Amino acid sequence: MSGYQNISGKERRRLRERKIKKHNLANILTHWFNVGMWLLLLPTGIAIISSPRLGLTPEWWQVAFRNIFGSTANLITFHYTVGIIWGFVLIFNIFFGFRKYFVPFAIKRMLLDKDDIEWLKIKPLQMLGFLKDKELPPQDAYNAGQKLYMYLVLIGTVGIGSSGLVMTLKNIFPPLLKQIAQPLHFVSVFGIVAGLIVHVYMGAVFPEEKEAFFSMFSGKVSQWYARSHHEKWYWEKVQEEMEWEEQVNKQVESASHVNARPAPTKTSD
Amino acid sequence: MKKRFGFVIDVSRCIDCRACMVACSVENYVPINHSRIWVQDQGVDGVFPELQRLFVPYNCMHCENPPCTEVCVSGATYKDKDTGLVLVDQEACIGCGFCVEACPYDARYLDEKRGVVDKCTGCIQRVETGQQPACVTTCIGGSRLFGDLNDPESDVSYAIKNARLVQRLDYESGGIDTDPNVFYVNAPEGISSLKTSDPFDQMGKEVPRSPRYTLSEVGWKKILVPAVLTGIGAAFLVQATYFTKQLIEGEKEVDE
Amino acid sequence: MSNTLSRRDFLKVGGVTLGALALGQYVPAKAAREAADHNQIDANGDGYIPTTCEMCVWRCGVLAKVKEGRVIKLEGNPDHPHSKGKLCARGQSGLMNTYDPDRVLYPLIRVGKRGEGKFRQASWEEALDITAENMIRIKEQYGPEAMVFSSTHNLSQTQFENLLYAYGSPNYGTQRSLCFNAMVTAFTLTYGVEEPARNYDQVEFIMMVGRNMMEAISTSETSELSDALARGAKLVYLDPRFTKTASKATEWIPIRPGTDAAFLLAMINVIVSNELADCEFVKQYVVGCDDIREEMSKYTPRWAEKITGVPAKSIERIAREYAAAGKNAMAHPGWRTSNFINSFQTERAIATLNALSGNVLTMGGCLVAENPEASGVSLGKPSQPSYPRVSALRLDGVPWKYPLVPLKLGVFQELRDAILTGQPYQAHGWFISRQNPILSLPDRKKTLEALGKLDFIVTVDIIMNDTTWFSDVVLPEASYLERYDPLMALAGKIFIRQPVIEPQGEARSALWIYKELGKRLGLEDFFKYEDEQDYIRQQLAPLDLDFYELCQKGHVVAESDTPGNDEIVFNTPSGKIEIYNEVLANAGFSPWPTWEEPPYPKSDEFYLLTGKVGQHTQFGTQNNLLLHKYEDKPRIWIHPDPAKERELQTDDWVKVTSQIGEVKVHALVTEAIRPDCVYLTPGYGHMSKGLRTAYGNGVSDSDLHVTYTDPISGGQALSQTFVTVRKA
Repeated sequence: MSGYQNISGKERRRLRERKIKKHNLANILTHWFNVGMWLLLLPTGIAIISSPRLGLTPEWWQVAFRNIFGSTANLITFHYTVGIIWGFVLIFNIFFGFRKYFVPFAIKRMLLDKDDIEWLKIKPLQMLGFLKDKELPPQDAYNAGQKLYMYLVLIGTVGIGSSGLVMTLKNIFPPLLKQIAQPLHFVSVFGIVAGLIVHVYMGAVFPEEKEAFFSMFSGKVSQWYARSHHEKWYWEKVQEEMEWEEQVNKQVESASHVNARPAPTKTSD
Repeated sequence: MKKRFGFVIDVSRCIDCRACMVACSVENYVPINHSRIWVQDQGVDGVFPELQRLFVPYNCMHCENPPCTEVCVSGATYKDKDTGLVLVDQEACIGCGFCVEACPYDARYLDEKRGVVDKCTGCIQRVETGQQPACVTTCIGGSRLFGDLNDPESDVSYAIKNARLVQRLDYESGGIDTDPNVFYVNAPEGISSLKTSDPFDQMGKEVPRSPRYTLSEVGWKKILVPAVLTGIGAAFLVQATYFTKQLIEGEKEVDE
Repeated sequence: MSNTLSRRDFLKVGGVTLGALALGQYVPAKAAREAADHNQIDANGDGYIPTTCEMCVWRCGVLAKVKEGRVIKLEGNPDHPHSKGKLCARGQSGLMNTYDPDRVLYPLIRVGKRGEGKFRQASWEEALDITAENMIRIKEQYGPEAMVFSSTHNLSQTQFENLLYAYGSPNYGTQRSLCFNAMVTAFTLTYGVEEPARNYDQVEFIMMVGRNMMEAISTSETSELSDALARGAKLVYLDPRFTKTASKATEWIPIRPGTDAAFLLAMINVIVSNELADCEFVKQYVVGCDDIREEMSKYTPRWAEKITGVPAKSIERIAREYAAAGKNAMAHPGWRTSNFINSFQTERAIATLNALSGNVLTMGGCLVAENPEASGVSLGKPSQPSYPRVSALRLDGVPWKYPLVPLKLGVFQELRDAILTGQPYQAHGWFISRQNPILSLPDRKKTLEALGKLDFIVTVDIIMNDTTWFSDVVLPEASYLERYDPLMALAGKIFIRQPVIEPQGEARSALWIYKELGKRLGLEDFFKYEDEQDYIRQQLAPLDLDFYELCQKGHVVAESDTPGNDEIVFNTPSGKIEIYNEVLANAGFSPWPTWEEPPYPKSDEFYLLTGKVGQHTQFGTQNNLLLHKYEDKPRIWIHPDPAKERELQTDDWVKVTSQIGEVKVHALVTEAIRPDCVYLTPGYGHMSKGLRTAYGNGVSDSDLHVTYTDPISGGQALSQTFVTVRKA
């Protein structure tokens, strides 16, 4: 179905002008909320891990943050308070929009299919400059790489949230769980950080995805971007629009019997 | 001169009256199933009627190089800069218990109700107001002394200077040298280790023992850290590669 | 008072309670307001209030730290001569005594059978009315002597005695005959004081017969002994058991029980035969020094060796060392030494040894023949009419059966026996305050049977102790941290006991209880004080001392009203120390310290020893959660040789059987005891289910002890019981 490379330049310009809505407001807000919370949680979290035997973080960082907050206890209190807010809002959002947003989203957008696997084999090499002529299989609203990142974030977030909760509610959970929670928290956070390195690069630095970055503010992408990067989703959207137009036409037609006005002619091409 | 608070225990004078243990329990709200200090009964030594019996009080050694502070992930336990006492900030402690396992003297315990770790604090709340720790104040036999070991005029320095025999329960092995700040003086035949006794479920265990590192701590240090570093390193490398390529090739619009 | 909490739940509750001490709510208690008036606590209810401990008889001065209306720590009062800033384990645990979940806080009246523990809560009005009605009925029907009163000596004893004397009963029981009748009688006869004070400042050589000072802790004295030993003083300690004191002694003599008198008499023999005594002192101050050499000549070390098992050479050497220390030697009076009938003679021998060394002076010597309690200060008291005449005989045989026993001491076990036998007359009621005779008297079965003979039993107690459990009416006393008691004079100072917190529930002080009861008995003239504070003010009145200052500081200094004596005169008929004692001779006993053969166990029997542990006080503290936390498990000590014969190992169950009873208890196989002795940890085996921590823990030797009474001092020979031991 693809072959977007064969589309004429004129057509491309036209498509580039027209926008489709990709992310709704809830998604956008949640995403940036997450970013904001991470900006608070990650540096403070790094400052908290001060085990000399693990020797993970630089001492000046630990000292600086303890000075900023006044004491180790304050630093930790800040971290888990923000953590609780973060966790609560996320859970609330998912729970609140569970049936309307999350379930359809999960079913449609999160599962890997044959095209995704193909894409995963070809795309990384293409980015390095190999296999230039190979055609990439069409991708859905989120390409395979993005889907993989999504899994990482989901698993990681559950890991972070559950282990964080165990460490915060220290007089409820037994010591063994708290002992396990610490390395689990660590590995979940830095697993996501590893993914973030790629995600932030792809989203904010890599030129091909510039539109994707701005779409996280406006919520919209151009039809051209959709056609070239997320073809399957593009055709879905087109289908949706066509169906919508048909519905409108039908309504107008039935209305026209009342109005006895000639039906407007369609000007699509 | 930096302060180095510690204990001197005249072993020949302890009569195992346990006033110190009760006083400590009350002063520091110690839960009924834990203790911060102990008097170790070395047992009846010899054959009737040639008998000897020694009582050895002990508590946290407030080591110069505490293995417990080495494993604390949040920095909740620390060696206080002003006094040299090893303390726990209960608000920062999450009660994981790495430090309890690491202490060679089994001096720490997990307070189940509060979910945090606790131990002898040298009664710092009393020391700050010019008093002695509760156990020292009430010691009937006159066995316990407390003070600044770096002050040559203090009780403890004086006691060490004038003792017949001075010993410590030092743990030195595998790169760890605790260098404890509890000095035992005048033990008739010397003490090399303690067998801790009930009722605190430590019967038969000898103290000091080697620090124990839990599975999760070791797993974290030896497996997860290298794994994460590898992961981040790999992600960084991947990103760097593409970024470099991007810089070399310049900005390229996909559809031009 | 039935309950469904298991012992484990208890420990949790106890833990919560202890933790809750930190989070106490501020209740503006009356006691707190008064303390605030005295500048002891600040506006938050925080501060230190001085008072007096009651966890044992030593009565150390205490500084109670109060926070938001709760006691959170007890410190020894540095100004008090009995504590000098320290408190023993029991003193430190005192707040757990006050906050014990098993406190009796409301008057109780029995509804079930005696011993079922079924009580109903009643008002003070009702409880006191019922008590008074019964006491009056008994008085009218059987005479006041049919009402027995007993109390373990404490600060409110004067008012207890007041109640019983005003009521008109002669029957007064104290715990003394179970403890130190031997010592008090011996020293009263020999020196004219009940208990000479001990001074360790200059001591070089100490002889102790029993008196396990490191476990039977008297805070200041134990500390002083420890200091003296650290300084280089020598301690020779006689005890069949290797106690903690033995482990600190320079020389431990594992003497055969009941033979200490032989050892000491042999020492006296060595000293007087070789003229090692302080001749000057002896000539001037001692009666009987002329003939003593001849009298003691039969008690040679060789003779003593056969009896005691101690080599003659050792006895001789020790005697010489003792004598060489001169005035700086001390033979410690102890309390009950070996607890045999001949302990009276042992005490007489101790008194003699001290007299021979010249260390007994009224000022400054090692042993001070001056009653430390009185110290020359006479406190005031409310005016009252004279007591009614008492014509009836005392049930405990004083003085008609025991002519030499002081009335104040009595013979408690005899009193119990008289209740049982109904001879010379039947008692019908028993008023017991702050005492637990079911556990303290020998032969518990007899005590319980005796209770069955009584129509009415009323107890004053702070906790559901065993005797309280079996009584008909329980009057809840406020604990020592919650009440005023009459003042205590000691070493030139007067010390107060005052409440540091408001009494919990409806507990009241003994002073109040006795007065209220007195009122209902028609005896209000004998209790002419408004309240506790008024009583204390009346005590201070003749000395012109300030009550406010007393409450604030915890003590006031009193001028002694007896002038300092340069001349040393002893309070005996002759004015001198009476080694040869006419009074004894006149009563038909030996005027000299003499050897009385003790009984010996058969080949398969053991001496059953008793003693003290440093973490408990007799039978009163086993329920205290803090002490329970740090106590040793109660067991019976047995030497490895007889243990092997019986195939016993530590923690095996054994059956211990005496002439009158049997118990089953865990064994402790240890070298620390003579092979012919066993030792049962004292204080356990409580019968009251109202003591949820103590109940079911260990066994009581009151189930084994046979009643043996010394005819001279009335002392109960608690260690003269022999037992067999076998694997259970």
